Amino acid sequence: MAKTKTLAVLIAFFLAAGAASAAPAGKTASVPAIAGFTADDMPYDAGNALLLRWPDGQYGADTVYRVFLSTAAAGGWVHADEFKAADREAKAIPLPFWAWEPLPGELAVKLEIGALVGELKSGSDVKVKAAAYRNDKLIAESLAVTAQIRGNWFRLDRLNNLILLTVIVIAFFWAVSHAKRKGLFIRRIAGLDAIDEAIGRSTEMGKPIFYVPGIGQMSTISTIASTFILGEVAKKVAAYDSQIKVPHYDPVVMTVAKEVVKQSYLEAGRPDSYREDLNFFVSHDQFSYAASVDGMISREKPAAIFFMGYFMAESLLLAEVGSTTGAIQIAGTDVEHQLPFFFTACDYTLIGEELYAAGAYLSKEPMLVSALKVQDLGKLVVMVSVAVGGVLVAVGAKMNWDNLVQVVLTLFKAY
Amino acid sequence: MKFIKNYLPLAMVMVVGLLMLASYYIPHKHSVDYVELMNKWENIVFAFAFLLGLLSLFVSHYGKIRRRHDGWGYSIFVFVGFFIMVIPALMSGGKQMIDGQVTGLGWSFRYVYNALSATMFAVLAFYIVSTAYRSFRIKSGQALVLFIAAFILILGKVPLGQMAWESVLGWTGYGIDRVIEWIMSVPAVAGKRGIMIGIAIGAIVTALKIIFGIERQYMGKD
Amino acid sequence: MKENLLKFLKIDRRWIFLALAVVLFIPIIKPIGLPNKTISRDVQNAFDALDKVPAGSFVLFSLDYDPSTRPELHPQAEAALRYAFKKNLRVGIVTYIAGSTGLIQQLIEKVPGETGKVNGTDYVVYPYMANAVAVMTQMASDFYGIYDKDIDGRDARSLPVMKGVRNYKDIPLILSITGTNILDFWVAYVGDKYNVPVIGGVTAISQPGYGPYLQTRQLKGLIGGMKGAAEFESLVKEPGKGTSGIDALNLAHIMVLLLILTSNIILLVVRYL
Repeated sequence: MAKTKTLAVLIAFFLAAGAASAAPAGKTASVPAIAGFTADDMPYDAGNALLLRWPDGQYGADTVYRVFLSTAAAGGWVHADEFKAADREAKAIPLPFWAWEPLPGELAVKLEIGALVGELKSGSDVKVKAAAYRNDKLIAESLAVTAQIRGNWFRLDRLNNLILLTVIVIAFFWAVSHAKRKGLFIRRIAGLDAIDEAIGRSTEMGKPIFYVPGIGQMSTISTIASTFILGEVAKKVAAYDSQIKVPHYDPVVMTVAKEVVKQSYLEAGRPDSYREDLNFFVSHDQFSYAASVDGMISREKPAAIFFMGYFMAESLLLAEVGSTTGAIQIAGTDVEHQLPFFFTACDYTLIGEELYAAGAYLSKEPMLVSALKVQDLGKLVVMVSVAVGGVLVAVGAKMNWDNLVQVVLTLFKAY
Repeated sequence: MKFIKNYLPLAMVMVVGLLMLASYYIPHKHSVDYVELMNKWENIVFAFAFLLGLLSLFVSHYGKIRRRHDGWGYSIFVFVGFFIMVIPALMSGGKQMIDGQVTGLGWSFRYVYNALSATMFAVLAFYIVSTAYRSFRIKSGQALVLFIAAFILILGKVPLGQMAWESVLGWTGYGIDRVIEWIMSVPAVAGKRGIMIGIAIGAIVTALKIIFGIERQYMGKD
Repeated sequence: MKENLLKFLKIDRRWIFLALAVVLFIPIIKPIGLPNKTISRDVQNAFDALDKVPAGSFVLFSLDYDPSTRPELHPQAEAALRYAFKKNLRVGIVTYIAGSTGLIQQLIEKVPGETGKVNGTDYVVYPYMANAVAVMTQMASDFYGIYDKDIDGRDARSLPVMKGVRNYKDIPLILSITGTNILDFWVAYVGDKYNVPVIGGVTAISQPGYGPYLQTRQLKGLIGGMKGAAEFESLVKEPGKGTSGIDALNLAHIMVLLLILTSNIILLVVRYL
């Protein structure tokens, strides 16, 4: 009996000593401990944050918490964060339900270590503690807890995104590997059918064709699509022995376009007609580019002009000048707010996706055509998701099924 | 040769592309470092490509001058313009202002480049007005809807239009602001979203086609 | 009669250019002072977002417009910077358009001096960087990984204005004023990914394109064109270039309306009379 009593006294002594040593500087008074305080590595991050959790409601609503941390390098306690309990509810951590399970009435704090004491190596120990204050008076304090920060290897919160990607990739491979030479219907795209007419006209008139790839960089999807179309157009130009000029805004795009045009001339069996200066750099300044191309168009009066790629405010500047010279104009861009300008000033306009589909449409390569099916499937998935999701959220909101609404909203959120 | 021209670039595209894709799902520091490294490389490659562009510009215009090609006089301006900007920039170390004094570069920027650039953009306003006059014709039911929406939007931009609306339609309780807000945030956004979603999916598929080497026209095919 | 009307329909566009030039020119030379009373919701939101940033915080201004869009965007930048200083915010200015460095220079020659703000203590200007997206991604982990020196070559880390700023977590607001799609990048690559509030200033021509972002609050507010600049100026109570351009803007809008109406009335007359 006496032995257990001695043990209890000893434990109490050590606990009190621990609490005293853990108290912020200048405060050694013994206060109650905050129950259930835990610290762990913040999941799904690069390894510079800790996640602290403890149950709320122990000390009333007007409690202010302060969090302190200590590392081997920094030494001593660093004031890391200060907040009211209501500001750090566990459910406010922006993670989806499959990656984060907040307990009711729990507080959770994400502590960015790097921002406070500098970058630490993965696996470093960090000591943390929390203290509760009322009217600036310490009323409770947790024990100091040591946790390791670690770099994680998977963003579980992005699982919804990964699943969607996987579905698209599988569909993509299925479509591509089942590519058939015939039988796949593609809607007529008038703008692309008119390419032959435009090139034929320029051959008859003995005037050049201008191909304007816009002001996108090589990473812009519409610019990539534009190089596909350029390839097909150049092939026809070479076959008809017409002349093409491609003024460039971006030097990387120019390098790529050179290669594409050269290849097209080769394929058309006219490598002798190819010249290095068919593609030329004009300016990397939007309006200098527009002014320069406008000048060339009004001087040379081309028979046909293609505007394919990424365009901003220069769209109308180019297309309007082109239309006054009487050239056939075919435009295509995915910048939807420039589409109205092309519509009014050009003979044919490809809208967004039509531009992406153009490579497949023109080359009729089975694999590329099949990839269009994936686009359709993607749109179907979006349409069904929007319809079903919309109905579910509306019904859920009407019937007060908060959980259902949350689940649906979370499923379609990007993290 | 075929290996260097075909397989190696394709392999590089695939590996770099897949790693970039994976980095979206891998938060680890290695993945962050990889993305940073790639971004730096991209900047470096771009800088060199820019030199290449400049070279192409000079070669093509020098050729025109040498051959006395039609309009070769314009080509002289390419060199004149270039040196007018570059020489003062070199002299002032790229600074437009030194000790409160505008440098040669600052002067060229303010009084030449500023004016030329603003003029080009301003021309747009003239083109828009003349295009609106020539093409905004009500030829069908759809065109009528478009016309009404545009009319309300333009009216709402002008104080006189706002006053006119209030005196004529004020009794309905619908201010022109609210009508415009509705047009912009319901039908306009609905249409734009549709196009955006289509474009996003198209972009994903194009990216996959490139990563897996199905579309390789951009590197000159075979 | 009909022939004459048809001729009018196919009028040489240069006459329209001339009419527009006159309509724009007169009010710029001699302002008429047309009333401008409404403040659009998006401009109000943009103002509120800037207004509620606590004093002393570090806000990032991405000023990516070149002289071409200067008449619309420079007044926006001026009004916003002035207000940020009035609210005692620290301001970092970055740019991804080479042509805007000169405009930024003009901006900082003028605005900070008015309120006695000091370069390096109250604001800092960083050099032009190519490849905006790459830079934005990099800044998420370490601001100084990309901007280690300011435009004058001083060590960025040791500048008082940068105190406590390491990455986006220390930046409570980003304002992107641009005539390009760089605002889209800020929204998609920074605002969404790192939960930083982004507000924008764009040209009137690209303003309608940002509807979806505004509706989902991915973009907290938007100043659109010269009218937006005038509205913002009236919110911060500093009338400037935006306000003075509003007369010309009004008249030009009326002219467009009249032209569209005329052409359609002529069309109706020709067809049905």
